[in-house]
Amino acid sequence: MSNREQILTALRSARMRRPPVEHPGRFGAWRPVESPPPIEGFEVMFTQAGGEVVRVSSSAERDEWLRAFLADFERLSTGVGVPREIADFGPRIVDPGGEHAADVGISVARGAIAETGSLLMDARDGRRAQLLPPVLIVLVDSSAVHATVADALESVRDDLPAAIGLHSGPSKSADIGQVMVRGVHGPGRVIAVVA
Amino acid sequence: MSEASRDYRPGAYRSAAARTLRDTPEVRDSVGSATRTFDSLRVNAYADVDSDRWRDWARDVKGHALTHLDEYLEQAERSLVDNGAHVHWASSADDVHRVIAEVVERHGVRTVVKSKSMLSEELEVNAYLESLGVRPVETDLGEYIIQLLAEPPSHIVGPAIHRSLEDCRALFHDRLGTRLDAEPDELAAAARQALRNDFLAADLGISGGNFLAADTGTVALIENEGNIRLTTSVPRVHVALVGIEKIVPRFEDLAGLLQLTARAATGQPIGLFVSLIQGPRTAAEIDGPEEVHVVFVDNGRTTLFDDDVAWEALRCVRCGACLNICPVYRQTGGHAYGWTYSGPIGAIISPGLLGLERALPLPHASSLCGACADVCPVRIPIPELLTHWRERAVDEGFVSAGERFGMSAYAALAQRPGAFAAAGSTLRWTPWRTAGKVLPVLSGWVQERDAPTPSVRSFRDLWRAGIE
Repeated sequence: MSNREQILTALRSARMRRPPVEHPGRFGAWRPVESPPPIEGFEVMFTQAGGEVVRVSSSAERDEWLRAFLADFERLSTGVGVPREIADFGPRIVDPGGEHAADVGISVARGAIAETGSLLMDARDGRRAQLLPPVLIVLVDSSAVHATVADALESVRDDLPAAIGLHSGPSKSADIGQVMVRGVHGPGRVIAVVA
Repeated sequence: MSEASRDYRPGAYRSAAARTLRDTPEVRDSVGSATRTFDSLRVNAYADVDSDRWRDWARDVKGHALTHLDEYLEQAERSLVDNGAHVHWASSADDVHRVIAEVVERHGVRTVVKSKSMLSEELEVNAYLESLGVRPVETDLGEYIIQLLAEPPSHIVGPAIHRSLEDCRALFHDRLGTRLDAEPDELAAAARQALRNDFLAADLGISGGNFLAADTGTVALIENEGNIRLTTSVPRVHVALVGIEKIVPRFEDLAGLLQLTARAATGQPIGLFVSLIQGPRTAAEIDGPEEVHVVFVDNGRTTLFDDDVAWEALRCVRCGACLNICPVYRQTGGHAYGWTYSGPIGAIISPGLLGLERALPLPHASSLCGACADVCPVRIPIPELLTHWRERAVDEGFVSAGERFGMSAYAALAQRPGAFAAAGSTLRWTPWRTAGKVLPVLSGWVQERDAPTPSVRSFRDLWRAGIE
């Protein structure tokens, strides 16, 4: 008998002896207090975890902020969906495969989540740009901020890429003597630019 | 080799625990401080939400999955294959090793980056890779520390919590050339630099899996450092080792489970990085692994599942909350338990996964205070399962001759009223301090305790006379 058959047979014979448990249905968040509007909730949660939020009201304002911020950096790694005008904002754009040499990355989020302060990062925008540079800027559309994780997962479940990352703040660890440090492997600074 | 790993097997629990307390008292300080911190963060994180309702929900999702496990495994297999991933079924550690050997061979792998996985520890993947001439690199900072020290993990979530900042300073000075008084930031930066090179050079990334959603074939992974995202994104090939009990029915179920696990483990609303992996990179993607293998691992889980009481332990999400609150675990940390999974959860799954005889005396390494059951996010009745394994140990004859003799003597006595009364009166007038010196079995008890002055009359006398 193959491993597969062996495992499945053993599981079947044991579980037939037990009453089946019913699935309890959709996870409902069930919070004791009323949640704020999604965009505000996201800002509170993401900031609490050490992330930064910049809110802009137009693409012109966004570009102005980006131009000023990027002036301090030399090499930029960009996600697939990032507007091409970014090439004129100062830093040299690194080629795909060279993301580890960039000192800042910029990626477009598929959405965000208020409940946990998370950014929904889609592999189709390029994973290395989201992970390798020490500073990451994430562009988010305010209309794509979901109230709960359940809402967000339902919104993507029928169109899944190879991987989705939920990024909820800068990389951290307390593994060295229980002292919290930032930027261990992933970006140590994450800025969500919400338009 | 460290003190704790000298005799690393469950059977050595008593001597290993005594040795830890005697020879490395600082371990208790580090473990106590880390677990108290984890636990107080959990308390706050549970209070922020309706945690009772969350836990009922999670218990039922996992319970539902387990009572339909064969169906969901088959569904997960179909989903993953549809997504372009390779699925393997492994009954034993050897089967897992064979899958890894085949990938290593075919891709000419020299370096493997690994993200923390207790299952990989259980399967001794690192030792196996080394035997193939492949260099395994643990990339979780805690796991990296213990790999450099050649130690097993001491805690499910924080593998190096038994090590102090001073220990890490000395280790990193020795291995990475950092200053002896370097701050944690500098130590982490040195590790980041060393490991970054390995991420870029490795051909294979090996991860575990916190959950596997059957309907979409999604392997879900929780972490805070970003090393799991890198392990599963940068190398050409990704192998995920997933215990068969990690299955959940629906992608949307992850919404509750990801949050509850983080709250129970570290008191966070969610892990800072969550990876939801469906398969290899698609035509529309510019990076990510070209090949993804998901290994469904049994390695004793079907045996545990076959026990009509203990199977509930398979709901476990490996948050470590029961370790953090356990007054017994807090004394020694995990090494004394002599196996990958320590603390209360280790004591109830090891008899299933290793066999009861090999796991003893772990089900006895508990005072049955019940704190673990109070905090468990999936409501595993841990104390009941501990006593279940103790009962099975008696039924199967795994108790000492002395205990067996004592119990049968007591049973004989209890059936003879005259003898019982005589024995009771003898016990009431026994000088315990002296008896303790004569009878070695009692010496441990009377050394630190004074026996209360016995009543002049027995309970049965008082009862007959009519107790007020």
